[in-house]
Amino acid sequence: MSTFDEQDLEQILRSRPAEPRQLLPLLQDIQARFRHLPKEALLATAERLSLPPARVFAAACFYRAFSLTPKGERLVAVCQGTACHLRGGQAVTESLEKRLGLKIGQTSADGRYGLESVNCLGACALAPVATVDGVVHGHLTPDAAAELI
Amino acid sequence: MTKQQFIHVDADATVKPMPQTSDLVSGTIDGREVAVPWGTTLLEAAASIGTVIPTLCHHPALPPDGNCRLCLVEVDSRLAASCLFPLRRSGFSVSTESPKVFEARAFVLKLLLSRAPNDEYLKELAVKYEAAPDPRLGDLADGCVRCGRCVRACQATGTEAISLVGRSQERQVTGPFFEPPAQCVGCLACAKVCPTGYIVFSEERTSRSIWGRDFEMVLCPICGEPVGSLQELARAGAAEELCPACRRRAMASALVSGPGLSL
Ligand code: SF4
Ligand code: FES
Ligand code: FES
Repeated sequence: MSTFDEQDLEQILRSRPAEPRQLLPLLQDIQARFRHLPKEALLATAERLSLPPARVFAAACFYRAFSLTPKGERLVAVCQGTACHLRGGQAVTESLEKRLGLKIGQTSADGRYGLESVNCLGACALAPVATVDGVVHGHLTPDAAAELI
Repeated sequence: MTKQQFIHVDADATVKPMPQTSDLVSGTIDGREVAVPWGTTLLEAAASIGTVIPTLCHHPALPPDGNCRLCLVEVDSRLAASCLFPLRRSGFSVSTESPKVFEARAFVLKLLLSRAPNDEYLKELAVKYEAAPDPRLGDLADGCVRCGRCVRACQATGTEAISLVGRSQERQVTGPFFEPPAQCVGCLACAKVCPTGYIVFSEERTSRSIWGRDFEMVLCPICGEPVGSLQELARAGAAEELCPACRRRAMASALVSGPGLSL
């Protein structure tokens, strides 16, 4: 579910104390539930924590983990860090782009898949690396990467 | 918020008075002896002996942020942003124009000029430091140097309608959701502290526009001059107000015709 649901939001907001320091945890919860941060949710968060919407919006735009538009149901993240780049990461990226018909940063029209790049997954020994829904796949070849989908 | 708490930000204000402490710290700035209260910033210490360090993101009425790096100086052979650097120990030795400072400042200017190549102040400094925008950075010249003075001014008024949003080259000043900010009261504090004049606004006798929003002006009930926007006065806790000139006159006549001082 990536569509906005007021009851879900209400439940998330009430799950934590109404303190400014809960801003990031709440945004994480909202992102996890709706796969993006809907405008209504950001405004409701600002209201709940008594923070100016400008500050909440700035936080929402600062972290790569947050997105203002819905991310795909299945998130494919391909590493473009130095180690992965040296070991053929570019070919893996191109293979995934072709398989999904998406460019890095895009989400499929039906919302099923999203393709992202990361700058190092901290698994350089397994380079080149990609994750699908957070699960790490190492030593990828372009063919092996296409088969992940 | 009471009226007294309303912070009026004046772009032309001079360096604020030094903090009141009895402990002095001493050292040298460009070879000149200086003694200042503990915790005074290097920028203030330099100003106290008439040494001018170029600044941009610094504004005496706003909390320092140290983001533009124009005020870099050399402290005990390390570079430091003087607007943020508190002097807490005696024996400091500061150089505000060493070759290292010159080079660093020229580099900073190059970056700032890439954003605001037509700014007079930056252009003047560019001549002195032999700096020019770097074409390799691409066309970034939108006129805003991302100093955040506008955002800090808006925060200081307690409104915080705008913020610096995004990272790296995408960073920009905007209302939430890239829309006209609903919280804005049209006080123009942001536009007044902006060093480059990036924030556009228009002002007529009865209305004012900024950030894509329109505001109705409150007129002085005596002379009819505009005093401020409706929402701005509401924020300051005043419903109706005289313009500064009429207020002075009203106060003076109250003193003259009043009951006098009873001791
Ligand atoms: S709009 Fe002006 S004050 Fe605001 S960040 Fe840009 S240059 Fe600074
Ligand atoms: S560079 Fe890809 S995991 Fe480190
Ligand atoms: S004036 Fe000190 S960093 Fe901008």
